[in-house]
Amino acid sequence: MTSTDHSGAVAHVRARAGGPLWLDAGVPAPAGMVRLTRPDATGQALPVWPDGVTPSLLEEYQVAPVPVERAGETRRVLAAVLKCCWADLSVDPWPGRPAPVELVLDTYRALIGRTDDLMRNWAIGALRRLHDSAWIVMSDGVVVLGPRCALWPVESHAQLQELVRRLPEPERPELTVVRDADIVAAAESAPEGAGGRVEGGAPEFGDVLGAYDERRRAELVAAYMAVEHAAEPVQEVRFAALRDPALRHTLGEMLARRGRALIQHRDRWTSGFDDAHARAATTYEPLTRADGEAGATVPDAAPEAAGEAVAGAGSPDHHGTASGDGSLPHHGTSIDAGSPPGHRTVAGDGGGAGRGRHAAETGLGVSERAVLTLVLVHSVAIPRAEGLLPEDSWLSPHPTPVDELRRHTQLPIGELEAALRGLRHAGLLSQVKAGEEAGGYVPGPQFHRLTPAARRRLQEELILAAGPSTPLAAAVRARRSAQTREPRG
Amino acid sequence: MRSRTLVPVPEEPLTLDAVLTDEAVLSTYRRMFAALARDSGAVVDDPALVDIAETLFSAFAEAGEEWLTHEQMRFACRAYPADQFDNRLRVLKGLGAVREVFPKPNQLRYRASFTSVVGLMFIRRMMSDGGQSEMHRLLALEDLNVADPRTTMEEARQSAVNLARAFRLWALELITLTTGTIEELREQAPKLWGTEEIARRAQGLHGTILTRWPELDRVCTDLRAAIYAYSDASRRAAGRLADSAGTTRNLTLLPTETWRTFAQTASRERLAAVLDGFVFDAPAPWHDPAAIARAVDEAPRPAPAQPTPPRSHLPDPGPDSALDSSPDAAAERLREVAESLLGDGSRVALADVLGDDWPSARRVLADLTTVDLRPELPYRLAWSDGLTIDPEGEPSWLSHGYLERT
Repeated sequence: MTSTDHSGAVAHVRARAGGPLWLDAGVPAPAGMVRLTRPDATGQALPVWPDGVTPSLLEEYQVAPVPVERAGETRRVLAAVLKCCWADLSVDPWPGRPAPVELVLDTYRALIGRTDDLMRNWAIGALRRLHDSAWIVMSDGVVVLGPRCALWPVESHAQLQELVRRLPEPERPELTVVRDADIVAAAESAPEGAGGRVEGGAPEFGDVLGAYDERRRAELVAAYMAVEHAAEPVQEVRFAALRDPALRHTLGEMLARRGRALIQHRDRWTSGFDDAHARAATTYEPLTRADGEAGATVPDAAPEAAGEAVAGAGSPDHHGTASGDGSLPHHGTSIDAGSPPGHRTVAGDGGGAGRGRHAAETGLGVSERAVLTLVLVHSVAIPRAEGLLPEDSWLSPHPTPVDELRRHTQLPIGELEAALRGLRHAGLLSQVKAGEEAGGYVPGPQFHRLTPAARRRLQEELILAAGPSTPLAAAVRARRSAQTREPRG
Repeated sequence: MRSRTLVPVPEEPLTLDAVLTDEAVLSTYRRMFAALARDSGAVVDDPALVDIAETLFSAFAEAGEEWLTHEQMRFACRAYPADQFDNRLRVLKGLGAVREVFPKPNQLRYRASFTSVVGLMFIRRMMSDGGQSEMHRLLALEDLNVADPRTTMEEARQSAVNLARAFRLWALELITLTTGTIEELREQAPKLWGTEEIARRAQGLHGTILTRWPELDRVCTDLRAAIYAYSDASRRAAGRLADSAGTTRNLTLLPTETWRTFAQTASRERLAAVLDGFVFDAPAPWHDPAAIARAVDEAPRPAPAQPTPPRSHLPDPGPDSALDSSPDAAAERLREVAESLLGDGSRVALADVLGDDWPSARRVLADLTTVDLRPELPYRLAWSDGLTIDPEGEPSWLSHGYLERT
């Protein structure tokens, strides 16, 4: 593999783990990504799928995609954002123009015909999830369409236009302190606030797929989408490209270009980060602009926001908003306070932007990783030590009670709620509901996607952390130092 | 004295697990007393027998200077079968653990031996952790001993030789485990915990001896070698465990309490450090245009407010007062209806009694059907197959039927 291939795969790993990548002015998007160029020539890069398919292909194969939390509500709110931001229906929806959060909320209210505070809190929760997954960008009480909206295929734009046309216009009493037009104008005057164009985006699998006839090619693409986007590992028998060893080999090549590897669970397959690229991605120097260059509103990428949300949750001023959907401020407070905690105000805060982008490299914030570790200890390690978990797996039927996390750990409660929300949203934790009091969290479907080496490393890291002075930990350390001493490329 | 009845203790069902546990306990007993036993069958063959001894000793402790009679001993051990108790008492008496208070004939009171009680405590502790904490205590005691100015060089030498021997044997056991099956190794792994500390203590002891009696150089070299061999063997055993394949299997090797302590006391940063360097997918759900349109179509519509039907503003008491709610009223009314239709006859055709407007005919039919369905009323409806159709008239369809008196 050449070094350019390598950096391309690492870029894909970073985009999958951390959301859209930031590109400096003039830096081209890595192969297999679309470049969303802003007026100042900087941009964001986002992976595209082979042969113009989207994850909705899974529906045709009746494979469940990664579940969307409160899907209906989230999509209705996205429709409301689209209605507000897609002003000129004769051009593509992205980038659209900024719209005030309050206008979006009023549009949503008109759509569902409810006006209570509960609906408002739900809608804000949905906006936050959309922001965290880069479907919208929310900052300073203003919403714009996020990079992922640029991935809607052109053929589907007609459907979206029709949808936007039939959404009701909100009735807006002119009561707001600042007029919508002024908010929009302010947002548009920011250098990166609006405008942009979509460039490139040809998937890079031409040479691999070109050798196959139409049918095989479709089978490969279907299997690719299934292993990459299905919630659970898919059955080998359902996909020709998984059954046939030659096709499976090609599938492996396609995945390798994206820093992924096929992972087998008996007769089921899924994909996960390939060990070498994952390691490279955590130590890799990114293609982004120099830190501190940005002086104005930076529409954040997803994980950056997640990291910030966690960091912000600890500080007292963020505490109230970070502690759960139910505690969001009521109607009538300022727009900014109503915006979710995941987002930050960055006017003149170039250092903040740099920090944010650094968080994007690692994906999860400190609290999120801490909570995930706790769930692994309670749901896997302890049942394992008690002999209750026969399967050699990181998934577990033993939920970690939320109360255990809340009362018997060193984590602040405010951080806990925000971290659980983020982890649930990413499919790293699944919520188990059982009765009134019971239930809790178990490791989520993402743990299917760990390679054997990663599973093993996770076990070792837990042992090193929980029993650092045991001989077992000493043996792990000894083996690791022996491995690093061996020449490795 | 009140009379008491002995209640048989229900026997627990003997499971395979229970047998295995018992056997493990017994094998430790046998190994511990191998040096003292006269023949290989000399150690108890049921762990419950040791419990009897323990129960007896605690009864002796409570009795104080009252001592215990044979009956009192039997009462203290009432939970155990008589033959087991007799067997135990015989052995304990024979070995001197339980003795007569005064060595003279027909002595009825007994006392327990302090040495045996301490011995039993030691046995129980050895059972719980395989001798590891004994080794800790032993090292701590030896440390005190060699620091004591009264200790002679000969005593120190003996102590070093003993320790060297213990460590060598321990190391050999670990080496055997390392080369044995991985399952056995995993099972015996708790013997490995805390080895670093034991080795450190032993080295400390070694240092003390060597500083005080440089003449013991050769014995100390032996001890040092034994300690190293032991550390090395335990590291190798742990290394084999760490290498053994499996994703989460080694998690069993730390006890539950260690995991709990970690979860409860570790700082946020220490917990987070476990997942350093792991890469997970960021949340990236796909919102397809079709799915968005569907979600909008499926939006929960608020139920439209239903207008209340218009009501008159005048007071309207309604027919409430006109209704006779007495139990016989309904039957009486129906009888009147039937009688008025029948007149004097015993039979009347429905076609004759129904009027030519449907609303009143409907009411009459409803009444007659009710009459028919009430067995206590002496009227019946009889239907025939005939049917009159008259498109102009009302009702335009009429089945032929008769109201009859029965």
